[in-house]
Amino acid sequence: MKLSFIPEDMDWVCEPCGLALQPGMAELFYLGNVFRVELPMCPGCGAVLIGEELATGKMLQVEQLLEDK
Amino acid sequence: MDQQELHRWEGRCIQEEPPACRAGCPLGVDGRLFSQAMKRHDLAAARLVLEKSMPLAGIVGRLCEAPCEGFCIRKDFGGAVALGDLERYCLGAGPGRGKGLRLPGRDKRVAVLGGGPSGLVAAFELARKGYPVDLYHLGAQPGGWLRTLPETRLPAAVLDEELRFLHSLGVTFHAVPDLDPGLPALAGTEACYLGRDGDGAIALLATLSAPDEVTFALERPGTFAGGIAAGDHPQRLILSVSQGREAAVSIDRYLQGASLTASRVLLRHGRTELYTDTTAVTPQPRVAAAGHGGYSGDEATREASRCLHCQCLECVKHCVYLAEYGAYPKVYARRIYNNSAIVKGIHQANRFINGCSLCDQCRALCPNDFSMAELCLDARRQMVREKRMPPSAHWFAISEMRAAASETALIRHAPAQKTSRWLFFPGCQLAGIRPAQTLALYRHLLALDDRTGLWLDCCGAPAHWAGREEELAAMLARLKALWQEMGEPPVLVACSSCRKLFGEQLPEVTTVSLWSYLRHKPLPPARATTVPLAISDPCSARHDTETRQAVRDLAAAIGQELSPLAMSGELTECCGYGGLMDNADPALAAKVARARAAQSEAPLLTYCAMCRDRLATTGQMTLHLLDLLFPGDADAASLPPASLSSRREGRRSLAADAGRLHGEEPAGGGRPGDDLLLAIAADVAARLEERRILVEDIRHVLSAAGRSSSFTHRGSRRRLAAGRRGEVTFWVSYRLEGSVHHIDGAWSHRMTIGTEDGP
Repeated sequence: MKLSFIPEDMDWVCEPCGLALQPGMAELFYLGNVFRVELPMCPGCGAVLIGEELATGKMLQVEQLLEDK
Repeated sequence: MDQQELHRWEGRCIQEEPPACRAGCPLGVDGRLFSQAMKRHDLAAARLVLEKSMPLAGIVGRLCEAPCEGFCIRKDFGGAVALGDLERYCLGAGPGRGKGLRLPGRDKRVAVLGGGPSGLVAAFELARKGYPVDLYHLGAQPGGWLRTLPETRLPAAVLDEELRFLHSLGVTFHAVPDLDPGLPALAGTEACYLGRDGDGAIALLATLSAPDEVTFALERPGTFAGGIAAGDHPQRLILSVSQGREAAVSIDRYLQGASLTASRVLLRHGRTELYTDTTAVTPQPRVAAAGHGGYSGDEATREASRCLHCQCLECVKHCVYLAEYGAYPKVYARRIYNNSAIVKGIHQANRFINGCSLCDQCRALCPNDFSMAELCLDARRQMVREKRMPPSAHWFAISEMRAAASETALIRHAPAQKTSRWLFFPGCQLAGIRPAQTLALYRHLLALDDRTGLWLDCCGAPAHWAGREEELAAMLARLKALWQEMGEPPVLVACSSCRKLFGEQLPEVTTVSLWSYLRHKPLPPARATTVPLAISDPCSARHDTETRQAVRDLAAAIGQELSPLAMSGELTECCGYGGLMDNADPALAAKVARARAAQSEAPLLTYCAMCRDRLATTGQMTLHLLDLLFPGDADAASLPPASLSSRREGRRSLAADAGRLHGEEPAGGGRPGDDLLLAIAADVAARLEERRILVEDIRHVLSAAGRSSSFTHRGSRRRLAAGRRGEVTFWVSYRLEGSVHHIDGAWSHRMTIGTEDGP
C-alpha cells in the first residue's frame, strides 16, 4: 500500500530553488524503522514539506507506537 | 525485576488481604462481597458468594453462628454487620441452590462414618472432587442432630434437598445399626472420615484419639476425624463444618500421595493484614428485625448497607496517578513486571511507569511502606539500560537540564573574595522562574555574609528521575569537582529537590536548607498577606522536617497567618512536575495540579518555584515564600506562570547579572537568530508551550530560513521553514512583514527525512 500525504493545496514553492513542489517519494526514519511515503517535494533539491496536520497526527502516532515497541 | 522480586513487591501491598469477616470465618466466606450483593438486594449473586465458600449452603447458612461478626470492623461503630441474619434472609428469600459441579470421577473410594454436619460436608467436598463416597449413618436418614432442629431453623425440605444434591454428586448413603471404625464394609475403601459430631458420636469418640489440629489426621494412615461432639458448643455447627472440610482436603492430598501440610492454605482464625481506615466512620446502629421471622427485604438491604466495604487503598485514595489507572500497587507491580518481560509487541505500561511523580506519598501512607516511586524508578532505570526508554518521554526535561548545566551554569566566590564560607545554590527552576528575586535573595545573602559564593547549575534531578544513571553519575562527578575546587564550603540550597538529591547522591557535600539559614538571620523588610495562606510543602521536603519547620517559622516571624492544609508535611502531594510526570504525561500532571490546588480554599504558599507555577496554572492563588520575603512592585499572587522559553531566558539573564557582579560581561556573538524580530500572538504562544517549542527553537529555524527546507506559499505568501535541533525537527509557519516575522504556528517531529542522520 502506498502511503501518501499530499495536501489539497500544493501551491508551495521551494525557496532556495524557486521550483514548485510536486508529489515525491521520501523516506522517513525513526528508531531503525523506515517508511516510504509520498510527500510534497522539491524536484530540484529534494526538500520535503511536512505540514502541521501530518506532524501532530499520523507522524506523532507512529513515533509513539515505535517508542513503545 | 525477577519473579522473586515481583513477589516481594506484591506481598507488600495488602489490598488483596481478606477483610476481617472473611479472615474470621472458618470457611472463608467473603462477607464483604456478600454484603455488597445484599446491599443491591441481588439475592442470586449473594447466594453465589455463599456457595463459593460454604458447603451445603442451604443448611450451613441457616445455622451458621457467624463468628465473623466478632471480627467485623463495624462492631465498634454501632455493632457488627448482622451477617448471620443476612445469610438466613438470603437463603430464605432468594433462589435455591445452583448446579454443583463435579470433577471427573476417580476410582479411589472414601468412606464417611457419621451423618452429622461434618460428615455431610466431608462427603460433599470429596464427592465434588470426583471421589465415590459411602456415607454410613445411624437411623433411617442421615443428618444426625440436624434432624432434631425445629422447622423454623432448618426446614426438613431444605435438609432433604441438600441430601438429594449430595446423592447426585455421587454420595451413597448407608443406614447401619452402629458406627464402628472396624466396619467390614470399610475394607474396600482407601480413606475414611469419622464424624465426631454425628448421631453415634459418643460411642465412636471412645474409640478415637484426638486428630491433628490442622490436618485432622488420626494416627492410623488414611483415617481422619473431625466435628464437635459437645451439643452446647457455641460454634458447634460452623466448626464441625470447617473441620469436615479441612479433613476432606487432607483426604484428597492423602489419596494423591501428596504431603498433608506442604503449601496448605491454613485457616486464618481472623488474622489479616488488611488495613481499613476508620477515622471517618460514624456509628450506625444495627438494624433490628421488626418481625419474628428475621429481616424483611428492606431491613436486610439497610443492614447490608452498614458494611464498611473494608479495604486499604490508602495510597490510591490520595494519589491521582494511582487512581487514574484503576487498580492498586499489587496489580501495578505485576503490570510493570509484565511490561519489562515483553520481547516483541507493544510495551503498554511505558507511560504508566513514566507517569509516577516519584513523590513517595504512597510509601508515607502505606501501612506496609509500599513505594511506587521505588518500583517505577527501578523500572525506568531498567528501560534505560535495555535501551527501550521512549526517547520522547523525558526529552524536554533532559535538554533543559543540559542547558542549565552548561550554557547558564556559573560558579563564583563572592565578588572580591577568594574563598567561600557558603555557596548559594538556588536550583535551575527558581533561577529560571524568578531570576530577579533570586538575585535579590543573593544580594541579601551577601549582606548577611560577604563570603557567600553563587552556584548556578542543575543538581541532576531530571537525569535521576528519568532513570539515566550514567548521565546522573557524570553530572554528579562534575558537580563534586566544582564544589571541591571552591574549597568544599557548605551549600545553601533553596530547592527541596536539589537538597534531597544532594543528600542521597552526594552525601559528602554538606547542604544547609536556605530557609533554615534565613530563619536564624535578620530578615529583609517582608510583607505578609492579609489573608491566611495554606502551606503546600513540596513533595521533596516530605522527610525534611527541619526545612518544613523553618518555613513555618519564617512565616510566623513576618506575621503571616497560616491556614491548615490536610495533606501536608510528611503526607504532602506533588504538583505534577516531580519525577518528570509533566514530561511523560502532561494531561495527568495537569489533573494532579488541579486536584492539589482544589484541596485548599485559602491561597497557597509554597517554597518550591515549580510548585508555585504549576499550582498557579490551575487558577488557584499561589505565592512563593520569596514573594513575602522580597516583595516586588508587582502583585506576586497574580504573576502568570513562567513559560518554558522565559525560564530558559531567566536562567540566562540571572547568569549574566551574576557575572556582572564580578565585572564580567556576557560573551558577545549571541545565538543564531537572536537579532530577528518576532511577533507571536498569545494563542500561538500557548500552542508552542504545549508542544514544548521554545522561542529560541524558532529563532534557530528562522536563522537558516531561505537556505534549506524553506517554502513559500504562492497565494498567501505564507512561509514555512524547518530545522533540526538535537533529536527534533522544528517547523515554523510565518509571514514576513517588513523585518518582523509574524509566527502563526510551529510544530515538530522526531522522525528524520531522507537519511537517518537528518535532513
